[in-house]
Amino acid sequence: MKKRDTYWRILFLGPALCAFSVFVLWPLIDSFRYSFTNWNGFSSNYRFVGFDNYARVLADKAFLNATVNSAIWVVAALVLPTLLGLVVALLLNRKFRGVDVFKTIFFLPICLAPIVVGQIWIWIFQPDWGLLNTVIGAATGTASFGFPWLAKPSTALVSVIIAWSWQQTSIAMVIFLAGLTSIPRDLLEAAEIDGVGRWKQKLHIVLPMLRPATAVVVALSIINALKGFDILYIMTGGGPFHSSNTLAFFMYEESFRKYRMGYGSAISVVLFLIILLIMYVYFRQLRKLDKIYD
Amino acid sequence: MTSKLWTKTLIGAVIATAVPLFGAPPASAQEQVTISHFFSGDTRRAALKEIFDKFKGETGIEVVDSPIGHEDFKTAILVRAAGNSLPDVFSYWAGARVQFVVDADAIAPLDDLWASAQLGDVVAKSIANGATLYNGKRYLVPFGYHVDGFYYNPKVMTDSGITTMPKTWDELLAACQTLKSKGIPLIAMGSKNRWPAQGYFDFFLMRTAGPDYRLKLMTGKASYTDSEVKRAMGLWRDLIDGGCFVPNSNARGWRPAADLVVRGEAAMTLLGTYAIGYFVGNGAKPGVDFDVLDFPTIDKDAPSSAVGNVDGFVVAANAEHPVAARKLVAWLAKDSESQAKWIEVNGALSADPQLDNAPYSKVHQKAYNAVNQASTYRFSYDLETPPPVAEVGLNMFQKFMDDPSDIDGLLAETQEAAADAFKK
Repeated sequence: MKKRDTYWRILFLGPALCAFSVFVLWPLIDSFRYSFTNWNGFSSNYRFVGFDNYARVLADKAFLNATVNSAIWVVAALVLPTLLGLVVALLLNRKFRGVDVFKTIFFLPICLAPIVVGQIWIWIFQPDWGLLNTVIGAATGTASFGFPWLAKPSTALVSVIIAWSWQQTSIAMVIFLAGLTSIPRDLLEAAEIDGVGRWKQKLHIVLPMLRPATAVVVALSIINALKGFDILYIMTGGGPFHSSNTLAFFMYEESFRKYRMGYGSAISVVLFLIILLIMYVYFRQLRKLDKIYD
Repeated sequence: MTSKLWTKTLIGAVIATAVPLFGAPPASAQEQVTISHFFSGDTRRAALKEIFDKFKGETGIEVVDSPIGHEDFKTAILVRAAGNSLPDVFSYWAGARVQFVVDADAIAPLDDLWASAQLGDVVAKSIANGATLYNGKRYLVPFGYHVDGFYYNPKVMTDSGITTMPKTWDELLAACQTLKSKGIPLIAMGSKNRWPAQGYFDFFLMRTAGPDYRLKLMTGKASYTDSEVKRAMGLWRDLIDGGCFVPNSNARGWRPAADLVVRGEAAMTLLGTYAIGYFVGNGAKPGVDFDVLDFPTIDKDAPSSAVGNVDGFVVAANAEHPVAARKLVAWLAKDSESQAKWIEVNGALSADPQLDNAPYSKVHQKAYNAVNQASTYRFSYDLETPPPVAEVGLNMFQKFMDDPSDIDGLLAETQEAAADAFKK
């Protein structure tokens, strides 16, 4: 019986494992190999340079800049959509007229591709006729208010984070809404009978009961943030002058714009290790949380 | 059905499937050539389809076309090279970028084709050697070329009282102040994608230190901290400090900058002849709605020089259809109808100077004369210096447009990064 089970497992897991090996595992191993070379991406002639690329990564100021930007990006992309998603979910978890219309509106950004989201926000941030500057101009009485949000190093990354959070908030909202519907009504009614105020109900009943949903939102936010490349590519291209360069974009720039595929591979390996570390810490914490929850 | 009949049917089906697989390949498989290029706009794609259809009609070779957007092409072609799946033919920019793929053995030399197709008789002498010769061999067949100049709105200039277009640096500064007094900035620049800013650096350096010094800088034999570079950047800063640019250059691309000129919200923009294709494509009339003037003279002693880019085609070293690929690139350079079509659509100057009935507009003709009268034709910055160094410089230009206050600091930083990029 056990042997038969093994066959079935192989049969069902086989195709997925094959695809994983070809499209994930093999490129990963290949990148690791290239990270020890000076390959430029075009030439078939390249040589092994040992740990030169890794030494260079650690000494590169641009790498430090990209690491700091990535940290800002991940933290902001985790905190903002999670908090906003929770607030919106709590607001929409009531019965009032038109609630379904609001839910649909807040859900819409998920349906858009990041490239489309980026283009929408490029228009919003456009200095001459963009919505944001028009509103600020009207509010302050400055007719020609034309701040270039995406072209200034001080605001480029923040602007992209806002655009990103706009879309990601809807994902968080949907998960929190699902979590809210699973909270037993009688628990809240009992608290109300006992004279517990609304805020205290939220703080001591709703939020703890939302832990599983929060765990999913946090995991998704971290993974999506680390994957986030396309919206940066369309909105700022990592610029102006590296001010919105994250590690993923830095890797792209070195590999494909500067034709340093070996060095780019070394950056990708470092990025992979960072992601691995983050996910390890996260899942460890999650396991601890599960034990407490159980 | 009996089991024997099943077996026979199965064998029959296998044979029927295997015959086309293992038999002689169909004729069409031999008559194909794959091509990828960065001419991706609707009108250009339509024109190229027409051109490739004509090629098929004359040679029987089908062109399998896969265009990619201009900016994305730079990455996409590298990805295909890395995957060892380059198309038979691909467009590329003459200069350092072709040198890079030549050094990587990614493209095939075409000396035999150059001689047999007598391309030397067709391609303009001013660009032939500089654009096609790499390490002593011919690798690129030019399709068209561009020259940079100031594209201006004649109505804006004349309405502001400027009837003689500026030919010297002082005249340009004076025009800037005249227009400024009317509330119109002299220049619209769209440096969002960085490269549209490079023309200023190119011209300031060529019009002061000259093309030979510039070539030294581009090849790492001179330093960005040299007095020549500082002077060029200083002149550029004079334009910025003088309020000659429409604010927020880094927030817009070259097309929105060109639109500002057409709408009369700025007087001019520095672009290549591809701008003609863009203007005309949007309904502007050459010589009426827009015109071109050469970048003004700054030092009289500096040799006259033109800057631009040569678009050409190269053949991949491991091309699947090398014979058809060579036929196509030679045909594209020599077919006069295709060249004429390309002038109309792309705004390019023809690679063939003796092209009969070239549909040059008045603006084309001026650009063409600018190249002919110049003693040197050089490639634009990002095509003259190696790609890793170009990345450093392009970032510097964008940073300078954002804050031009610290030229010395910026150039010191650039030199450090450029020296590092030259080493690798």
